[in-house]
Amino acid sequence: MPRVVHAQEEPPEVMRALDLESASRFREAALLFKHALDAKPTPGALLGLERVYAELRISDSLLPTLDSLIARDPREGLYRSVKLRTLQLLGRQAALRGAFEEWVAATPRDASPYREYARVLIQLGQPSAADSIVRRASAALGGSGQMEYETAQLRAAEGQWEASAESWRRALVTAPQLAAAAAYALAPTPAASRDRIRQILCSPPVDAGSRRAAAELALNWGDATGAWEALRVLAPDSAAATAWTEFGERALAEERYAVARDALASALRVRSSPDLALEAATAALKAGSPTAVFSLAPLSMASDSTHAAVRFVPLHVAALAALGRGAEAETLVKRFDRWFAPGTRTAVAKLLASAWVRSGDLNRAREALSSAGSDADSSDAAGWLALYEGRLGDARVLMRGVREPGPELAVALGIVARTRGDSAPVLGNAFLTLARGDSAGAATRFTEAATEHAEAAPAILLVAARIDAARGAEPDALALWQRIVGAYGDSPEAAESELEWARLLRRRGDRAGAIAHLEHLILNAPDSALLPQARRELELAKGTVPSP
Amino acid sequence: MTDRILRTLRRLGVVAALLALAMPVRAQRLLVPMDDAQTDHLKAYGLTYNTIKTGMPAEWLLNYRGGAFLLPDTPELRKRAALDGIAIEPVNDAQLAEIRREMAGGNMEAVPLEKAPRIAVYTPRDAQPWDDAVTLALNYAGIDFTPVYDDEVERGDLSKFDWLHLHHEDFTGQFNKFNLGYRDAPWFRALVATSADAARRLGFANVPALKKDVAEHIRQFVDRGGFLFAMCGATETLELAIAGHSVDIAGDFADGTPMDPDGDAKMDWSRALAFHNAHLEHSPYVNSMSDIDGHQVNVPGRRQPLGTFTLFNFSAKFDPVPSMLVQDHRSVISDFYGVTTSFTKATLKPGDVVLATEEGASWVKYIHGDYGKGTWTYLGGHDPEDPQHAIGNPPTELSLHRNSPGYRLILNNVLFPAARKKPLKT
Repeated sequence: MPRVVHAQEEPPEVMRALDLESASRFREAALLFKHALDAKPTPGALLGLERVYAELRISDSLLPTLDSLIARDPREGLYRSVKLRTLQLLGRQAALRGAFEEWVAATPRDASPYREYARVLIQLGQPSAADSIVRRASAALGGSGQMEYETAQLRAAEGQWEASAESWRRALVTAPQLAAAAAYALAPTPAASRDRIRQILCSPPVDAGSRRAAAELALNWGDATGAWEALRVLAPDSAAATAWTEFGERALAEERYAVARDALASALRVRSSPDLALEAATAALKAGSPTAVFSLAPLSMASDSTHAAVRFVPLHVAALAALGRGAEAETLVKRFDRWFAPGTRTAVAKLLASAWVRSGDLNRAREALSSAGSDADSSDAAGWLALYEGRLGDARVLMRGVREPGPELAVALGIVARTRGDSAPVLGNAFLTLARGDSAGAATRFTEAATEHAEAAPAILLVAARIDAARGAEPDALALWQRIVGAYGDSPEAAESELEWARLLRRRGDRAGAIAHLEHLILNAPDSALLPQARRELELAKGTVPSP
Repeated sequence: MTDRILRTLRRLGVVAALLALAMPVRAQRLLVPMDDAQTDHLKAYGLTYNTIKTGMPAEWLLNYRGGAFLLPDTPELRKRAALDGIAIEPVNDAQLAEIRREMAGGNMEAVPLEKAPRIAVYTPRDAQPWDDAVTLALNYAGIDFTPVYDDEVERGDLSKFDWLHLHHEDFTGQFNKFNLGYRDAPWFRALVATSADAARRLGFANVPALKKDVAEHIRQFVDRGGFLFAMCGATETLELAIAGHSVDIAGDFADGTPMDPDGDAKMDWSRALAFHNAHLEHSPYVNSMSDIDGHQVNVPGRRQPLGTFTLFNFSAKFDPVPSMLVQDHRSVISDFYGVTTSFTKATLKPGDVVLATEEGASWVKYIHGDYGKGTWTYLGGHDPEDPQHAIGNPPTELSLHRNSPGYRLILNNVLFPAARKKPLKT
């Protein structure tokens, strides 16, 4: 009796048919697949025929071929599962059930028919029917161990999240490659049940598949720290390094820098490579741990000086800048200067200037930009320097020509444009204090600058309020929002201030207060771009839409 | 010039309350358009409902601009519209006269809305793993309602209300046969336990007996002049419970005894509101109650695919009630599943008014009729904006569906009882 042959034994005819299929020449491909199947059944020929018939919308033509193959080899699971899929596609429910029963009769001790049919029923949105198949399989096979994956999918489809997680936990032990499927199936778990899902997936003993699913879920649910906690306990081996690297790269892309740093650093300890080291160091820098850059990506990892100058030195200079260690940054830049390309030299000069700014030496910062050539000296960095020094006229000119505008620049430009005169030392000092990392001091300086520049006072006060809010000084931020709404009610900043004020009140449980402010905002700033946000907040405060 | 700008803005759908607020002189009326110029159709119903609730007059302009509303021009209403993002257009006497002239010449009619109905929603106190589209809509639109359940119904509290909504309840007492797929789910076990407690507390032998009595109270509520609006599984099971008042129509898992094998023959359909000649599903393993539902969503092999349904067009002047129920800015709407999704034509009573149907199908979607001194309206399906709704899915966020034509059908039902006192022309 002919048996289906292995995939690597696909005959040349099938390979030609695959090429035709890739070129969307489905009719010609179908002829070749069919011919190959008639000569010698192979998985490639059958699956190819299934695909191209579906493309041609003649899937029902596959049924006689399948019936013939099944008659020749009734125990071959591939023929049976393709038949189930085809009948599902055709919407022939009664025939689908019949095909399943015939398969069971042909292989009574095999879990495959139950598995395949249960999956089809889940896909068809019939969890009750799938449940009866799973239970029947348990009875016929002496337990549900072979149906864990289907049970897990089924329970998820039914909204039985804990039961689903329990099944996934068992299924992932032997099939860790299903971690992503588990995370996808469990992602809709309501917030109230999520802790329990985490507990189930992270229950001992530690298992790579379950931990990866738990991490993926936690990341989807916005708990980056929890995600890393799920993964960090894996035994440090090659598989763990892969898991940590994938997780770290995803966290880095999602700007969850602290967990990205930890994950990539862990992977680096198992699998050292310059690229991984640079990724880990980048994450560390963005996570606010610049010191870690030197140990994660030491210059000695570079293959040569050019490699070091292009990939490693900019990171090191950025770390030194963040630490305000201008002299060390300058030494490093000089050491590698001859290997820098022009673009790198300008970028490094800007970083060096920011290192001097951070340490409070604006003269050295200016020198750093000048020494790097005209590109650096007429750049946005030069504009920022002018602003720090209170030279508003120069700052206006230089900042307007910036090629890579960011949110900080937009805020600064907004204030500079509204401030009269060419000199503003107090305002410049406020920006400098912020650049040096002293957020509390910066908020105070901006508040002082608002007194000096009444014409831009609400914009300057709003910057102070944002800084206070970001550093967790809610009472200080609230006082500033109240001041803006009270004293500058007609300004564009009043809408944002009142919105933030209302949000704070809602977070504190003062719904009535929040509603009053939101209604005031909507009625008094009908042209504000913040109106959709205000209406959304109003719905949440009133409880007329579910809380996210 | 100003007219041109206004027309342009209207085309863009932004003739909003903001513009009205900015106008210093009050017009005589505020027109709430319900065509594509409306920015939040659902909240517009809340604005109108609360207008008449405070004793102010309102009119429903059937078939005019998607079923617009005409409200008094007051600062409070302008403010409410602005806060809710509802488009309104101030109209003066001359403009209003022009509108009325236009309406007189077409299939349009102005219906005065006089008294806001007192609304009750039959729903359990504890949260269930499904949401109720009507409570979602009422909450979103800002329309107050009172939840009632078995205790209140048995106490006779339905007499305190004009309008009653039912949704997902299984009045046959079989818990929608969810035991087939959810017998071990904590929420299902809790539902069975609390229902059994309620039955004992209220003096009934079992849950089916309690639910049948609740169904009887609801039948009497309609008979005495109440307005009933039901969706999803409540439509079908209410009818089965009423017609099967003296028959064992529940499986043994629900009341300890099997269904009466001659149940079909013993059903008294003369008591039912909407259906007759339906056949009970006798198998406890088939997740269906009867052949009333055309889609049979939970029965493998019987499940029908979703299509679209079309609202019928009625004469606004001669059939104002069905006209009110189908006011919408879309006439063809995507279908949506529920425990009961649709109603087979073969089981409809001859006097039923079909409001929406699927072309070429053997079922209808939306029906209405009189019963005693009251009326009933049934809409199949669970949630118009969640067509495949499954147990455990998160509730629909209506701020993302503020122009939903399906949800408008629900809110038409809330508002139409307010117009009841107007003498009908048929």
